[in-house]
Amino acid sequence: MLDFFGSIGSFIMTPLYFAISFVLTSFHTLFGGIFGPASGVAWVLSIIGLTLVIRAALIPLFVKQIKSSRNMQLIQPKVKELQKKYGHDRERLAQETMKLYKDTGTNPFASCLPIILQMPIFLSLFRLIDQAVKNPDKPKGVMTETLNNQFRDAHFLGAKISDTFVNTDDNGVRLLAAILVIAMTATTFLTQRQLMSKNMPADALSGPYAQQQKMLLYVLPVVFAVGGIAFPVGVLFYWTTSNLWTMGQQFYVIRNNPAPGTPAFKAKEERDKAKAARKGLPEPTTGEAESSAVATEVEERPAPRVQPKRQTKAQRQAKKKPGS
Amino acid sequence: MKFLLIGVLRAYRALISPLYGQVCRYHPSCSAYALEAVTEHGAARGVWLSVRRLARCHPWAAGGYDPVPPHRHRPSRTASAAPTPTQGA
Repeated sequence: MLDFFGSIGSFIMTPLYFAISFVLTSFHTLFGGIFGPASGVAWVLSIIGLTLVIRAALIPLFVKQIKSSRNMQLIQPKVKELQKKYGHDRERLAQETMKLYKDTGTNPFASCLPIILQMPIFLSLFRLIDQAVKNPDKPKGVMTETLNNQFRDAHFLGAKISDTFVNTDDNGVRLLAAILVIAMTATTFLTQRQLMSKNMPADALSGPYAQQQKMLLYVLPVVFAVGGIAFPVGVLFYWTTSNLWTMGQQFYVIRNNPAPGTPAFKAKEERDKAKAARKGLPEPTTGEAESSAVATEVEERPAPRVQPKRQTKAQRQAKKKPGS
Repeated sequence: MKFLLIGVLRAYRALISPLYGQVCRYHPSCSAYALEAVTEHGAARGVWLSVRRLARCHPWAAGGYDPVPPHRHRPSRTASAAPTPTQGA
């Protein structure tokens, strides 16, 4: 059983080791030329470069997500209607809202794919560092024994980047790990808070959902602290950079594609108005006006009547007594 | 095996999932789906269903309401929506 999982694992991970170590060593050739191949700065910058390459490669997914959430503004009245109708029943509300997203082809969520893609990448970077420490003579991917030794012994700000908080006696490593944990917690916290305070309608901020979100803010530091003491400093640099990127991406979305009926949406309208005024253009039709026009249209349109289908007597009777 | 998977999924939902907020384009979310699928259908079929669901959850998918399918062998309590061979017209 374990062998079976082991072979699935190596089937997935082997190409990843090559890809990740290739990007890493390419950056290392560049930064090693500037700062010296054994320097910690070169290795840390290589890890940051790797993170940026991966997040940049995921931009198409992000763009697709933005496009598919573009019509949120138009379906907002329908979402409100559903909230009024099923507000007491969270499960049903979630089902109906998701159905609406599907039917209108508008979905504000990013999908699980980016996370599923990033997890093995994170794991393979961890394994690359881990193996460089434990078995430097058996290099993975395009690493070499020399590179492994450099990677293992590289120091950044006096801390060994292959060390973890728990397996070191060096307070420098502990301090650096602690700083990175704080940075990760802060970026994720800010990302979430920005989302909640600026990009959520006021009525979504009360009730059990909001309660859950608030709990989350207390869970975050614990998770990062646990991860932060178990992973090598090098991996924490990857994690922190990735979180920073997510935060930037989030700020971009909230600024340019805010959810309707939120403070961020109003702010964008003000900016658009100011821009139009500066350029001496006529005032643009605001999103609110547009969406309310759609709303009245939606309300006035009667529900389409379902035409009865022509059926034989046998069919009608079969329907009345299913299974008989 | 089943309980190991349930444990892993519970841990993921408690610790890792909160880091990302809601990302899933479906309801129930992929991890909730996986947890229910493994609980209902056992390790092998549960994992199979979950992998298929994860493959469906990408930015080009419309998303929507996508519950765990009921047991194939055990007849469901409500009349099945799909026509049985004898009802086919």
